[in-house]
Amino acid sequence: MILYDFEYERPGSLKEATALLNETGGDAQLLAGGTDLMPNMRVEVVTPSLLVSVSGIEPAAPEKCADGSIRIDSLTKLSDLVDAELIQNELPMLAEAAHTVASNQVRVMGTLGGNLCQETRCLYYNQKHDYQFVEPCYKRGGDCCYPFPGNDRDVCWAVYMSDIAPVLIALDAKLEILGPDGTREIAMADLYTGDGMNPFTLGTAEIIQAIFVPPVPERFGWGYHKTTVRGGLDFGTAIIVIVLQLAEDGETCCWAKIVYSAVGQGPLRPTTTELSMEDAVLDPALIAVAASQEISPLPHHGFNKGFLRENIRVYTERTLVSAIECAQGKI
Amino acid sequence: MNQINDRTTVNGKKSRSRVLEMSINGEAHEITVKPRVMLLEAIREKIGLTGTKDGCESGTCGACTVLVDGQPTLSCITLAVECEGKNIRTVEDLADGENLNYLQEAFLDQGGTQCGFCTPGMLMSATALLEKNPKPTRDDINKALEGNLCRCTGYNSIVDSILQVSDQGVKPRLL
Repeated sequence: MILYDFEYERPGSLKEATALLNETGGDAQLLAGGTDLMPNMRVEVVTPSLLVSVSGIEPAAPEKCADGSIRIDSLTKLSDLVDAELIQNELPMLAEAAHTVASNQVRVMGTLGGNLCQETRCLYYNQKHDYQFVEPCYKRGGDCCYPFPGNDRDVCWAVYMSDIAPVLIALDAKLEILGPDGTREIAMADLYTGDGMNPFTLGTAEIIQAIFVPPVPERFGWGYHKTTVRGGLDFGTAIIVIVLQLAEDGETCCWAKIVYSAVGQGPLRPTTTELSMEDAVLDPALIAVAASQEISPLPHHGFNKGFLRENIRVYTERTLVSAIECAQGKI
Repeated sequence: MNQINDRTTVNGKKSRSRVLEMSINGEAHEITVKPRVMLLEAIREKIGLTGTKDGCESGTCGACTVLVDGQPTLSCITLAVECEGKNIRTVEDLADGENLNYLQEAFLDQGGTQCGFCTPGMLMSATALLEKNPKPTRDDINKALEGNLCRCTGYNSIVDSILQVSDQGVKPRLL
């Protein structure tokens, strides 16, 4: 049982849900799959007084829009996303990323929108305050970062560990956000503030309604790698996504994007390295060194900065090689 | 800080209890719960079916897996009120009285159960897998059971049990 009392509502549409969230202010939370929210409520990391459940709303199946982009309902369960033929054929990278999320049960329960809006994580923060041996940390309103006492800048070093967000950023996805004043559209990358205390730019009564993924160009290649400790049922140690487009000669790279997740308070991109990859024949080893030096991974869950940097260097190189081979049609 | 001073009320009032109708193992049940009660507690404490086990309480170990409308679901992180009107199957649904079903027999044949705490979750995950895919490969089984932890580490015999029950050439062990 969750150890404190709260109220629960189950509106019939997302519009009613935003109205309810708007009425209650910041003290209400949206409940979709609950696989992230419920454990957090058990340890009282988040303590909403009202849960607005969207389980009564049936998500629409992924579909192709007139302009060729694919619309995915944010309430789509991750297992449905993995099984959807349209996604498997058109966006295999998204299906693979959804397939790596936690366990079968979590994929059946969890939704795509919930995966994007998951709370940032930290070994110290994600435990009951009674078990914490000293005072609360920054994110709980304290005045010290106990896992990293050197972090004295009043910022939280909890990391954002979504497996799917870096893929959607790499694919230039757009989010349709429903608020009390109607819908607005933002780029996927603008969802994140990069601040561990308040990782999302969403307002209190705003809900991600749908995700639009534009069609991929010709000679497009992708690579996805998630390092985990145990293989299955694990948050990523470092997640690497690379997408690129090759020119007609099959060697020169037109443009490339590299996105890292689970190594910062939001997804990270080595933009200077990406610029250097434009219209160039790529040397994966050099690019991996440049990219791993450019970003600054946050230590998390017992992995130190040096380990993460080396991990990123090694797997950026391998992922880039597989992305190039994918664009050349070899795999 | 997220400090809660009064855990028993919301804004000075008790939260509203709800009467839920749900079908558990084919039987219609009506239970009265507060929103904060989890499906696991409703099944174990209100209905009295204690086959479903309470392991980590944070959605990691999979011992609490039940089938909600045929889908394997972690009942320790599902609110009971979310399951209103749903069709729930627990491990008690598998056996017919004293007679175990084929999957349970296969677990016995292969020694797929040691201390037995993870077994209800394993059985329900395996049931969901076999209903979706009657001839799963070893990789399919590993993927389907990745959310069920067994601290006796008897994973191989559990996978063998599922291969045996799906008739894929694994013979019962001679015990």
